[in-house]
Amino acid sequence: MVELRHVRLRFDEKLVLDDVCLEVEPLERVVIMGQSGSGKSTILRLILGILQPTSGSIFFKQFEISRLNRRKLQQVRSQIGMVYQYSALLSSRNVRDNVALPLEELTTKSREEIDRIVDEKLEMVGMLGAKHQMPSELSGGMRKRVSLARALVMDPELILFDEPSAGLDPVISSVIDELIIRLTETSKVTSIIVTHEMDSAFRIGTKMAMLYQGKIIESGPPEQLKQSKNPVVAQFLSGSTEGPILEGSQDAIATK
Amino acid sequence: MADDEQREADSGGTIETNPVVVVQEIGQIGRGFLREVGGMFWFIIQTVTETIDNMRRGRAPFRAASFFRHTERAGVGSVPLVAMVSFFLGLTMALLTGYQLERFGTERLVPGLVSIAFTRELGPLLTGIMLAARIGAAFTAELGTMEVSEEVEAIEAMGISPLRFLVAPRMLALFLLMPCLSVISSVAAIIATSLISRAYFNIAFVYFNDLVLNALLIRDIITGIAKSFLFGLLISAIACYRGLNVTGGAAGVGTATTSSVVTAITTVIGFDTLFNIVYVVFSPT
Repeated sequence: MVELRHVRLRFDEKLVLDDVCLEVEPLERVVIMGQSGSGKSTILRLILGILQPTSGSIFFKQFEISRLNRRKLQQVRSQIGMVYQYSALLSSRNVRDNVALPLEELTTKSREEIDRIVDEKLEMVGMLGAKHQMPSELSGGMRKRVSLARALVMDPELILFDEPSAGLDPVISSVIDELIIRLTETSKVTSIIVTHEMDSAFRIGTKMAMLYQGKIIESGPPEQLKQSKNPVVAQFLSGSTEGPILEGSQDAIATK
Repeated sequence: MADDEQREADSGGTIETNPVVVVQEIGQIGRGFLREVGGMFWFIIQTVTETIDNMRRGRAPFRAASFFRHTERAGVGSVPLVAMVSFFLGLTMALLTGYQLERFGTERLVPGLVSIAFTRELGPLLTGIMLAARIGAAFTAELGTMEVSEEVEAIEAMGISPLRFLVAPRMLALFLLMPCLSVISSVAAIIATSLISRAYFNIAFVYFNDLVLNALLIRDIITGIAKSFLFGLLISAIACYRGLNVTGGAAGVGTATTSSVVTAITTVIGFDTLFNIVYVVFSPT
């Protein structure tokens, strides 16, 4: 479904991604883990074609994302849903209009049909009652659910989640995780989830990949990563301050 | 340590006199300016292309509701400000010019003078400056906030062109409404002049009307309206371009808004001068 082949990305002097290879099979829920600022969200932006790799190729189905022209890229993007870390709902539009936006702009469906689809998706995420509310009137968890409904509205084949449980309390975080699992299973969607919250990662993921210093240093089923001998993976999963991750970093200095 | 700081402070206070460095700096400023102009030009072209592209696929270029919301805010909402400022400026201009011309017994030139000045020059220019400050700032702040909160990226990620969806309705609204507001500005100034002419220079309203009609040429009106279209396009393009290129969070939005207003006002005045030079050179009579 998605494949990253030897992807490198450089911003000025900084090498953000260095020879990243990753394969995502249909219906998998792949969790990409890594430290803050390690380039996890950047991978999602590369898959969407919002960023262009310095070298390497990114494939979504048969399309090589970095080689598509603007019109084709827009068509491909309509097959991918994205849930942002802070939801990114349009603050000037209510919940209904936010969810309906892709349908109104990209399809020729009638208003009645759009309303029916919007109601169905909002029902799926349990937000039908908030249909006429503005995003500013919703809590963080509710916004995430609306954002998920918006990502599902075009019946995408792939959904990208950027830190789905960031900023949420543990209970709401679990609710969102369960929702992601249920919706991806019922809607037969492949998903890529970026997170550094281990509870969520192990709950959601059917495959996990660890990104460290711009490289995928280990990937595989959750059980494999749990028993990993790699000191970086082991330290990251345990959350210990002792280990290679903090060596020489500013954070290490702060812990002393 | 203290010596380093002292040295740094000293070097910061001196003006660079090395000609190579001066030329390099001028070159960098020039390159930055050309990059901005090029970026703005491509921004307009890209917006028009993507909008037309969507129309070719048999779709509406953008939602009518969005367009009318912007026309209402930019146009109807600006009428009181434009009319009031132009009215007061018309009053002042008529008074000042009238008192000077009265000394030579030519105060009946006031109606023609003010009406030509406003229809051809001051109406579009004043409206441009007012809209750059009022609407340009609003467009930049609005789009900048959307950019910072990832709303623009979310629109792009859905496969919707932000240029078509966000920029095109704003650009078209200002492009079409600038001439209307410019006409309102000129009418307000002419009304103000008629009141001053009647009150201080004993020019009856009917006579005033004749003097204005005799003085005004169709080409003055057309020039003013043509300028207004151009100003509307420039202000909206600058405002949207600055808004969509915001970086650096809330502070970035503030900086972009200030920059947008300053750039738009400077550009409007610059293009007005350029327009006048071209007009005088190619159509002197």
